Amino acid sequence: MSEAAIPSGSGAILDVDGISMRFGGLLAVDTVSFAVQRGSITALIGPNGAGKTTVFNCITGFYRPTSGRIALRRVDGSLAALERLKDHRIARAGVARTFQNIRLFAGMTALENLLVAQHLPLQRATGFGIGAMLGLSRYKAAEAEAIERAASWLRAINLLDRADDAAGELPYGAQRRLEIARAMCTGPALLCLDEPAAGLNPRESEELARLLTTIRDGTATSSAPTSVLLIEHDMGIVMRISDHVVVLDHGRKIAEGPPDLVRNDRHVIAAYLGEDEEA
Amino acid sequence: MTPSGLAARVRSALVDAGKAALVAFGLFILMVGLRTDVAPAGELFLRTRWAEVGMLCALVFGLRLATALWVRPRLSEGNTQRSAALLSQAGLMFGPALLAVALILPFVPGIGRYELDLGILVLTYIMLGWGLNIVVGLAGLLDLGYVAFYAVGAYSYALLAQFFGLSFWICLPLAGILAAFWGVLLGFPVLRLRGDYLAIVTLAFGEIIRIVLLNWVELTGGPNGISGIPRPTFFGLPFSMGGGPGSFAHFFGIEPSPSHRVIFLYYLILGLALLTNWVAVRIRRQPIGRAWEALREDEVACRALGIDITNTKLTAFALGAMFAGFAGAFFATRQAFISPESFTFIESAIILAIVVLGGLGSQVGIAVAAIVMIGGFELFRDLDEYRMLVFGGAMVAIMVLRPRGLVGSRAPSVVLGGRKRIDASLVGEGRG
Amino acid sequence: MAYALQQLINGISLGMIYGLIAVGYTMVYGIIGMINFAHGDIFMVGAFISLIAILMLISGGMMEGPAAILLVLVISMAFTALYGWTVERVAYRPLRGSFRLAPLISAIGMSIVLQNFVQVSQGARVKPLEPQITGGVELMREGNFVVQLSYMQILIIVSTLAVLAIFTWLVTQTALGRAMRACEQDRKMAALLGINTDRTISLAFVIGAALASVAGTLYLLRYGIADFFMGFIVGVKAFTAAVLGGIGSLPGAVLGGLLIGLIETFWSAYFSVQYKDVAAFGILVLALVFLPTGLLGRQEVEKV
Repeated sequence: MSEAAIPSGSGAILDVDGISMRFGGLLAVDTVSFAVQRGSITALIGPNGAGKTTVFNCITGFYRPTSGRIALRRVDGSLAALERLKDHRIARAGVARTFQNIRLFAGMTALENLLVAQHLPLQRATGFGIGAMLGLSRYKAAEAEAIERAASWLRAINLLDRADDAAGELPYGAQRRLEIARAMCTGPALLCLDEPAAGLNPRESEELARLLTTIRDGTATSSAPTSVLLIEHDMGIVMRISDHVVVLDHGRKIAEGPPDLVRNDRHVIAAYLGEDEEA
Repeated sequence: MTPSGLAARVRSALVDAGKAALVAFGLFILMVGLRTDVAPAGELFLRTRWAEVGMLCALVFGLRLATALWVRPRLSEGNTQRSAALLSQAGLMFGPALLAVALILPFVPGIGRYELDLGILVLTYIMLGWGLNIVVGLAGLLDLGYVAFYAVGAYSYALLAQFFGLSFWICLPLAGILAAFWGVLLGFPVLRLRGDYLAIVTLAFGEIIRIVLLNWVELTGGPNGISGIPRPTFFGLPFSMGGGPGSFAHFFGIEPSPSHRVIFLYYLILGLALLTNWVAVRIRRQPIGRAWEALREDEVACRALGIDITNTKLTAFALGAMFAGFAGAFFATRQAFISPESFTFIESAIILAIVVLGGLGSQVGIAVAAIVMIGGFELFRDLDEYRMLVFGGAMVAIMVLRPRGLVGSRAPSVVLGGRKRIDASLVGEGRG
Repeated sequence: MAYALQQLINGISLGMIYGLIAVGYTMVYGIIGMINFAHGDIFMVGAFISLIAILMLISGGMMEGPAAILLVLVISMAFTALYGWTVERVAYRPLRGSFRLAPLISAIGMSIVLQNFVQVSQGARVKPLEPQITGGVELMREGNFVVQLSYMQILIIVSTLAVLAIFTWLVTQTALGRAMRACEQDRKMAALLGINTDRTISLAFVIGAALASVAGTLYLLRYGIADFFMGFIVGVKAFTAAVLGGIGSLPGAVLGGLLIGLIETFWSAYFSVQYKDVAAFGILVLALVFLPTGLLGRQEVEKV
């Protein structure tokens, strides 16, 4: 996609505007701005310690940026100022995330994990517990619908046959996919992934790449197309599936653009080859 | 085993037992060997009991030797795993069987007043265990002051009934609501604390409430407590001995008997316990119940899914407190007398022990644990002052042998295909 | 003013006793991350052992002078340390690496065992001990009110400082202390580096029990009573002190102890004696809500 050059306009689902994050004396992120376009996969890359995770945590509300603004266009079109919201409010506004070190509910089944993700609509349908307690039909229908949605995601990640196994028992790659499905079950406007390919073998990476593109295009399940923001070390994946790449180094944005352009940017090459062993 | 191997094992067991006896000697030589007694004049003097020290050391030696030679080899044969699986299998049938026994218990021949009173006591603890399980087992919040809500319920009932003359059936929900209200009030500032901090703060709250009850003499009667609490009526019909008009016996045209009230109380607490169970089991399959369990598994992930953890924790806390409040109201009407004595930390500890011993989250396990602990405690009543000693020792022993409790595995709340149990090692224990 | 000064002295001497016990809590918590619920009862056992030792010395006509006190302290420390070691060996070591609630329940069970063991072996009655150390130094006089630093309080302050000095040296200067701190940082790594973690943990219990026994002896001498239940409330307050100071922090435990002692004393002096425990617990709740890691505790960083 070439609309990356367009300054954040109506096409942007997420607009990060000059955020900085200071930890004591350390300026971890220094006035970084970028946008995630609707219906795109945007990758945030950079050498170790570049501030990717900090930016990521600011967007998902686990940190509050020292300065700057982060605006999210909700599914209904209204804007949400993420830098002012608490983390669970951010999730409600439509930002779903996964974690670098997988955080599934290990003692609950895969299906239960996906139902917890649909807590809000289900809780609303229960009439705050009381209706559900008495077995009212409105909740029954809502629950059936939630299970159906969970099942469709389990199908999309090839885990339908393991729906009733504890999440902690699943193989590593399956856990990564399940975490993505769980995030998608919240019905987000933006899916944020923290190193989703870490620890995957080539075949699993391939599967992941396909899953992410289907999530972007809305063909994974019947759910709507969803924009994706990811932090990734695996350049193969980044270059193959990203529509737009933002490169950070030492807390600053040093380049952004389509993958081909970024790959040949000399600042990027210098950052990766000159100062870090990672290539 | 070869003879030389056996000899070596016996030798090492003997050495081991010798060491244990030596430690026992060090432990007991002063504390048992020399007893401080108060002379009539008020002075302290020492009395020697060397023979007892010798006996205790010999006992430790013998027990240690026996453990090393017989018990440990058997344990290591690996049948603990199998028994655990068996137990959780049996649990499926065991629950209904237990319920059936509980339902017909008052009419089983040979069950007298004493047995029913014991049954009431056990059921009270089962109910408290199930209530606390919501907080500790499902939501993973370690509450060491649960007895405070039990006390709030009991005093609410006693005071409402005495000052306003309200009947038990009006006071019961009020007691529950008040306890839940206190749960929210106390929970709100502290629920963002983690793990042991939460434990110690809840313990402190429990003590604060007890000390206030002890010292607010005008309201609570202080250490003398409240006596003459109205006894429950059968929906308005009192259980009077005279059998006069309007009494339970008169209304149903039966001979007045003191056992009527006991039987009524028994079914009352059985009903309350079953209500607790029903709510707990049902709510586990609701979004809020699943959110509790998710919270126990991973709080950060819950936040990322948009779950308001403060509210979710508060609901668990309040609901658990409410059931303690119900149980407290029942306790007050059953005893007709309450004092702060009944609401010490040890009660919280016993309830928590029942929950942990039963296996966090397992309803049947908790019921069995309450029967074993409270029933066992009664069984040993001839031991007098040694009874609590045995009780504490049993708590340690059971934990050492079965750290995950009787039923450690978890049943999923919802399934697509077949129902499988989830192994205890995967289930989280909460950090809150 | 004079009254307040007297309360300050009383508060500090009481606070030092709490501090000594709090160190035991915080040390065990730092290393194995569990509340040693039986620690308050170890304090109680320490008080009883020193009571027995004092009575032995009295019957032998030797309960005189600093040497006798020292002897009582040594006897109490040695035997109480054995209790501490046994508690760890029997109730906690088998549960190492087990899930979090099991050792807690086991600890509560151990606390019940210790209380009832003492009740059975020494009787349920409160043991009144006649004052062994009397007199004091007059610091100032205001009207009829005399501010006095009693010899007993001097003993408490001096012996606490001495014991803590030895303890600090042990933790900061010796190989044992290094092993303990290593286990506190990362037990697995310490084990990989060849530190005998089991023995280090045992030693933490032994040292904690010895410190608690000093507290028990001083408490007995100061207040002249011992009973089997005395460990609970003192233990809870000492744990409060450890939390207030920031659990895991050794200087924090002493600081927390002093604070709790002062708060309790001043509250009793100016408000109400009945609610002194409420004051201590109330402060705990407030401190935790506004200062979740305690005064000197480490900030727990949440990684996501």
